[in-house]
Amino acid sequence: MVAFKLAFRNLFGAGLRTWLNVSVLSFAFVVIIFYNGYLDGWNKQAYIDTKDWEIGNGQLWHPTYDPYDHYSLQDAHAPVSGNIQKLISSDQLTPVLITQATIFPQGRMQNILLKGISPAQQIIKIPSKSLDTAGSIIPAVIGKRMAFAAKLKKGDNVLLRWRDKNGTFDAKEIQVVDVFSSNVSTIDNGNIWIPISQLQQMTGFENEATLFVVDKTYTAGNIDLWIYKDTHFLLKEIDDIIESKKAGSVLIYGLLLIIALLAIFDTQVLSIFRRQKEIGTYIALGMTRWKVIWIFTIEGSAHSILAILLGSLYGIPILGYLQIKGIPLPKTMDSYGITIGDRIFPSFSIGLILSTILLVVISATIVSYFPTRRISKLNPTDALKGKIS
Amino acid sequence: MIKFLFKGVIRDRGRSVLPIIVVSIGAMFTVILHCWINGIMVESLTMNANFNNGHVKINTRAYAKEASQMPIDLAIIGVNKLTKELKLSNPDFDWVHRTRFGALIDFPDSIGETRAQGPVTGWAIDLFSSGSNEADRFNISEALVSGKIPAKSSEALLSIDLAQKFNIKPGEEFTLFGTSMDGSMVFRNFSVSGIVRFGSSAIDRGAIIIDISDAQLALQMEDAASEILGFFNTGKYNDEIANNIAASFNKKYASSMDEFAPEMITFKQQEGMADLLNISETMSSIFIFVFVFAMSVVLWNAGLLGSLRRFNEFGVRLALGEGKNHIYKTIIFEGVFVGLIGTMIGTAIGLLFSYILQEKGLDISGMMKNSTLMMPAVARASITPSAIYIGFIPGVLSMVLGSALAGIRIYKRKTASLFKELEV
Amino acid sequence: MKISLVLVITLLSFNLLGQSAIKVLEKVDKNMSSKNRILESTMTINGKRNSRIVVSKSWAEGTKKSFTEYLSPASEKGTKMLKLEGQLWIYSPSTDRTIQISGNMLRQSVMGSDLSYEDMMDDRKLQDLYMEKLIDREIIEGRNTWVIQLTAKVENVAYHSQKMWVDTARYVPLKQELYAKSGQLLKKMEFKDIKNAQGRWFPYTTTYKDMLKDGKGTEFKITSILFDQSIPEYIFTKAALKQ
Repeated sequence: MVAFKLAFRNLFGAGLRTWLNVSVLSFAFVVIIFYNGYLDGWNKQAYIDTKDWEIGNGQLWHPTYDPYDHYSLQDAHAPVSGNIQKLISSDQLTPVLITQATIFPQGRMQNILLKGISPAQQIIKIPSKSLDTAGSIIPAVIGKRMAFAAKLKKGDNVLLRWRDKNGTFDAKEIQVVDVFSSNVSTIDNGNIWIPISQLQQMTGFENEATLFVVDKTYTAGNIDLWIYKDTHFLLKEIDDIIESKKAGSVLIYGLLLIIALLAIFDTQVLSIFRRQKEIGTYIALGMTRWKVIWIFTIEGSAHSILAILLGSLYGIPILGYLQIKGIPLPKTMDSYGITIGDRIFPSFSIGLILSTILLVVISATIVSYFPTRRISKLNPTDALKGKIS
Repeated sequence: MIKFLFKGVIRDRGRSVLPIIVVSIGAMFTVILHCWINGIMVESLTMNANFNNGHVKINTRAYAKEASQMPIDLAIIGVNKLTKELKLSNPDFDWVHRTRFGALIDFPDSIGETRAQGPVTGWAIDLFSSGSNEADRFNISEALVSGKIPAKSSEALLSIDLAQKFNIKPGEEFTLFGTSMDGSMVFRNFSVSGIVRFGSSAIDRGAIIIDISDAQLALQMEDAASEILGFFNTGKYNDEIANNIAASFNKKYASSMDEFAPEMITFKQQEGMADLLNISETMSSIFIFVFVFAMSVVLWNAGLLGSLRRFNEFGVRLALGEGKNHIYKTIIFEGVFVGLIGTMIGTAIGLLFSYILQEKGLDISGMMKNSTLMMPAVARASITPSAIYIGFIPGVLSMVLGSALAGIRIYKRKTASLFKELEV
Repeated sequence: MKISLVLVITLLSFNLLGQSAIKVLEKVDKNMSSKNRILESTMTINGKRNSRIVVSKSWAEGTKKSFTEYLSPASEKGTKMLKLEGQLWIYSPSTDRTIQISGNMLRQSVMGSDLSYEDMMDDRKLQDLYMEKLIDREIIEGRNTWVIQLTAKVENVAYHSQKMWVDTARYVPLKQELYAKSGQLLKKMEFKDIKNAQGRWFPYTTTYKDMLKDGKGTEFKITSILFDQSIPEYIFTKAALKQ
């Protein structure tokens, strides 16, 4: 305890120099938390968005469904069994039927995925409620990217051609009743959403579905022939991106941390150099060398405590503000198919903060310790005289 | 006096070595970090340029409208002449031809009949020309899981999932079955020279990469390609130059009503790219600012320490009658020298490291074991002209500031107590 | 993946030639169908920027068997196609490969073309698939026609309904329109150059147009046609592809 008191007294005594060191270290501390929080926030948001808009709390796939192989869609559907019907009734899951189709905006041909969804569903955020219309024309909702690509807007009609279960062509106008804006491009690019009952009727796949999106209350896992894909599986690509970003950022805050530690190291070297008399006195008074090393190491690492306190002082308001307001981003990021919002709201978890504190304290302690090792070689008489050994 | 001080700094190691080392390290870090952040910022942009748009891209007007459908029938005809002209008028660019197409690939059984078949997206790029950078742009050597990059005609790279699905190994043959530029059926045999994994499921599911010359043969696109891409030879996008080139290129066709007239867009003219560029520039400068600031504080600190070290020396000099102003001035000038020398050394070393980081990169694959992403597993720095002077901001400025601040103590010292302070 | 238009039209025209319908259709059928036929044709495909001509020679027996060999252009010369009872093989001499189009691929229709392989594989007779109804009389290019409405009576047909304009004197269709279930017109064919061949009236030129898309369509011209020849059975085997 004495060592700590002494350490802080010495540090405060050193005045400006201490505060410079501390401010740099605090800076590193805040930047590490900020950047990781930023990535975690992105990750979390991508998770939330993807869950909200696309995958719910997981999906039940038809065994042959392959999201990357559109040809598989021809066979990847099956009737909704009684078991599942019960779950649908209790709002635990909602069916989605997917078929290939073609639209003809302005005489051009564009292949799309036609997705049937229940207007009443509330598991994913697709504005399916807008599909609950009484008109004779097929209502459709599309995402902003699709709207842009096909040059469609709310209220527009476009000719849709599809084939039913027998392969018979059919073609009708559909009307865009709503354009939604979502960060998730996979439910937007090349997708047209219409009421599932209508799609079932149009294709003749009565009461059939390609997949089901389940909500939080769903626990059954695989059910009948349907295979449960959990969120971990469905979100792998997002995890990968975040992982690579984190790897790339290590050098940035690593260097920042090194610089801060360099300052502490420098200070420690100088302290020991300037305070040889003090060290000699300690030893002469009967302190073991290791006790002295301990005192100096604590003094050095106390920088980190101060840095954390200082960092909290300005970090909490700044990061708190960013957490509430978010960080604006360009809208093109999602053209890579990466789920990312217009703004990223950083997420600062207790784990992140604690581990960063630990990182800063431990690394500061290590660099504080190294220069003090020469104390163990110090001759107390020389030290008392202030002679450099 | 300046000469004298400079000699002092050079000759009196005790006065200069440690501060110079600290300044060098600081400047070096600043330079490296600057280049590194820059590298990360340009990485995603580079990927976009390399895979999609180049630094400038030429399509026919009709193709540009339907690019997502990969309509090879709308490709540019007469690419050789066009490219020759482009090379002549813009020698600073690497001009390449590319074609993306949809086709079927078909693997034979022992008697040459269909064993397995699947749709693919084909990427035809220049793999064979000597000096072609296309394989690097696609990062193929790193994406290669087995086998090798196609080296001769009729060799192709196959994407990993496809290879696994059909159980294909390098050396096996397949037939590309597709539609030519003018709509006829075309067939061409290829052998799998290698298997690639890009980490993006969209591509890994079903893609082949072949040489552009093979695509021209296979798809009957003689002297045609879907797109001509231009890359700055420097590797760095320069918006002003790109804009000028695009403007003068498009001007030639401005009066043409032909929907097959070529049209050039710059990297930045891609939908939404301007925003992305602006944001990454802003982000990059914020990072650099933060870092330069932090570095300045450290070097300032170093300046302070330097002055403290020489506490005794100044005492003696004061005792010998040197004026406080004069001492203070020498402190400042020495700070400038030390800062300059340190920064020069640091910048040189920093540039060297940055260059290594730029050329060799840093393997971050260990940190992303589970990742199957197309992101290169090697992160790279990118040296910009500003890397040369960026170190001087913290290096000189903060060294001088630190010295100046520390030097103030001179004025507080009293001659009367000098010898007491100097007592050993 | 785009199915070659050449392939589509070639096979489609066989279906047409093979079609017939009760009464008028039967007469049309009687007029146009034969035990077998050998024909040479040129097809003009109007792309977005140029047109090209493909010359081919075909042997067909009934509606279930056909064999086509491409004669020109040089790039397609020697390509052969065999259709047998719902199966389709294509042989290309340059690769010496026989490729079977099967499974999910059969229903694909991507890029440019609007028919799937499956459509072309449909070798059933019109009157087996459609209920026919004479709905009108019209004059087309100076010739009297009956307008026959065809409505699908079985489920697995590509087009739910068709309209056919049949020359009242010669029992040759002059125009045909293909409709979606909803009644939306999808495709239009016109038959011209009606000439007498071996005692039958036969349209020597067919134009084909996708009504949903911009474009000029495709023209199929018969340069020679022979009916009821003796065609050796081996022609309709896979072995013939490689010869």
